[in-house]
Amino acid sequence: MSLPDGDGPIFAQIAAELANQIADGTVGEGERVASSNEISAFYRVNPATAARSLTVLAEQGLVEKRRGVGMFVAKGARERLVQERRRGFADRYLRPLVVEAARLGIGLDELLGLVREELTSVEVTTGVKA
Amino acid sequence: MRSTPIVTVVRYLLLDRVTYLVLPWAWAAFGFVLDVVVLQLIPGGHGDDRWVGGLVAVPLVMLVVGAQSVARALPFALTLGVSRRTYFLGATALALALSVGFGLAVAIGRIVERATGGWGIGMAYFRVPHLLDGPWYLSWLTAMTVLVLMFVYGMWYGLVYRRTGLPGTTAFAAAQLGALALAALVATWAHGWTDIGHYLGTVTATGLTGVLAAVVAILLTGGFATIRRMTI
Amino acid sequence: MTPAISAAGLERRYRDHRALADVTFEVGTPCITGLLGRNGAGKSTLLRILAGQEFATAGRVRVFGAEPLENDTVLRRMILVRDNQTYPDLRVRHAVAAASLLYPNWDADLAGTLLDAYELPPARPIKKLSRGMRTALGLTIGLAARAELTLFDEPCAGLDGVARALFYDQLLADYAAHPRCIVLSTHLIDEAAELLDRVLVLDRGRLVLDAPADDLRGTMTSVTGQAGSVERLIAGRTTLNRCTLGTQTTAVMVGRLDDRDRELADHLRLRLERVTLQQLAGYAAEYHDRTVLTAVRTP
Repeated sequence: MSLPDGDGPIFAQIAAELANQIADGTVGEGERVASSNEISAFYRVNPATAARSLTVLAEQGLVEKRRGVGMFVAKGARERLVQERRRGFADRYLRPLVVEAARLGIGLDELLGLVREELTSVEVTTGVKA
Repeated sequence: MRSTPIVTVVRYLLLDRVTYLVLPWAWAAFGFVLDVVVLQLIPGGHGDDRWVGGLVAVPLVMLVVGAQSVARALPFALTLGVSRRTYFLGATALALALSVGFGLAVAIGRIVERATGGWGIGMAYFRVPHLLDGPWYLSWLTAMTVLVLMFVYGMWYGLVYRRTGLPGTTAFAAAQLGALALAALVATWAHGWTDIGHYLGTVTATGLTGVLAAVVAILLTGGFATIRRMTI
Repeated sequence: MTPAISAAGLERRYRDHRALADVTFEVGTPCITGLLGRNGAGKSTLLRILAGQEFATAGRVRVFGAEPLENDTVLRRMILVRDNQTYPDLRVRHAVAAASLLYPNWDADLAGTLLDAYELPPARPIKKLSRGMRTALGLTIGLAARAELTLFDEPCAGLDGVARALFYDQLLADYAAHPRCIVLSTHLIDEAAELLDRVLVLDRGRLVLDAPADDLRGTMTSVTGQAGSVERLIAGRTTLNRCTLGTQTTAVMVGRLDDRDRELADHLRLRLERVTLQQLAGYAAEYHDRTVLTAVRTP
């Protein structure tokens, strides 16, 4: 398994990946997260890098260490991530959307129509009620 | 328990059983058979058991085995964290151990040979005239010294070859011949040949063994000097 | 703490060229260090001097605080497996047995596992192994020796992709279980990039880059787009390489990008690409005599 070809330090990318898993509930609250050695083997990265990614999560309070057992997803971690992402949603997704739409000369009504269309097709293909 | 580094090197070299434990005996056996055949072919005289020279195969094999011990086994040993000094001491220890064994075999062979009237065919295989005709322990010592000498000489050649390749080895051999020629020249110039002849005529096996041991010491010094700056 | 390796002013001159010049660095343990550089950059020479197999012309080398040359106590704590390693005329199992004699931490199980994984028949004479198989034998011995300082010179030479992936996995797994100081020289830089804690780049005998691997990511970026737009983004930054095709320009710039830079790039319709470690090592070699790389060297 390799990481998406992003830039920035590997540990940050892995931390983001792990945070994603917590945010979408793949790893539930109170569940054990992968150990640094497991992460190292999975992503084929240096164990120190893997450990650093866990440290990042721990510093953000998303995971907590239980002595001798490993790292576990902290209580409220998912909720916090979701809140954070909601706050970042406009910056991360809406702005590029609007900028590109302006470039292409897509007006507001047309844009909203496209969004609605997309929403329907996502519901059909993934079954996720958006 | 971990053995000392030198013993470890000996064990490392002995992983190649064929070269160190089989080859010399095989050649000794071959020399023996050859001697028997030769003796059957040439008309026999009377009196003393005749020495045909098959035993010479063993020191020659030792020369080759000595060269072999530093050929391909040395770089891998260095890879595995053995120092040049330890390797050299280990190879020398192996030379000594092998020579003690073969020397003993020669000494025992002499006893058997004498007891069986030259293997029943008047053959002297182990009893080399002048060199191996004293008491058994002296023959043991002499044979051992000769074999160590050949092994160590082979090692030195092997080391020179590793360091300098064929040109260097040729120069090395030429230098030795040159030194011998120079010595001969000096002997001639000093009218020393009669003295040398006199020495060779009267020297005992003990005295000769001492001289050979001194040569071994020189060869060891030369070999060590060569391995010390070896790169792989 | 004593570093595993320390070299100061290391130099190796041969008659007609200088293989190493004024190489100074330290490597602590545990750590996986990549020794990178082109062929002939001096990687092998450096490793051989560290392992006491080659002599330095000048300078000083210490392994675990002591001179490694002819020092059995230091040498038995290290192993250098070379590209195209010379083996005795023996069988595979003999080479493995030899290593087991010499290394106190030798792991026979790991050796067995690796021999199986690389499909190395123990009874096969080493002479009859293919190049790739001989390399695999070296890797097996190098890993199973568990030496406190493990040096691999081009560990993947002659190996196919599957075998290389296997090596990387085994190296990481064994390192995770038994942390130690591992140095590997390689020119397959990008493949090994994520394994490394530390990066040393040699070029024509000089150490041109010495940095923690993680810090190097993102210190250089390649920017592509309209010449004018590119100029706007890279204004005031150190630029290493610039090439133009028609109205398009690609420039490699030094220094990290923040979110505002990215926004600007997006606005200017510039394409940003990560400079890989391989490319970065190349630039380090090419521009090492200038001060432009300080940003990379001291993050």
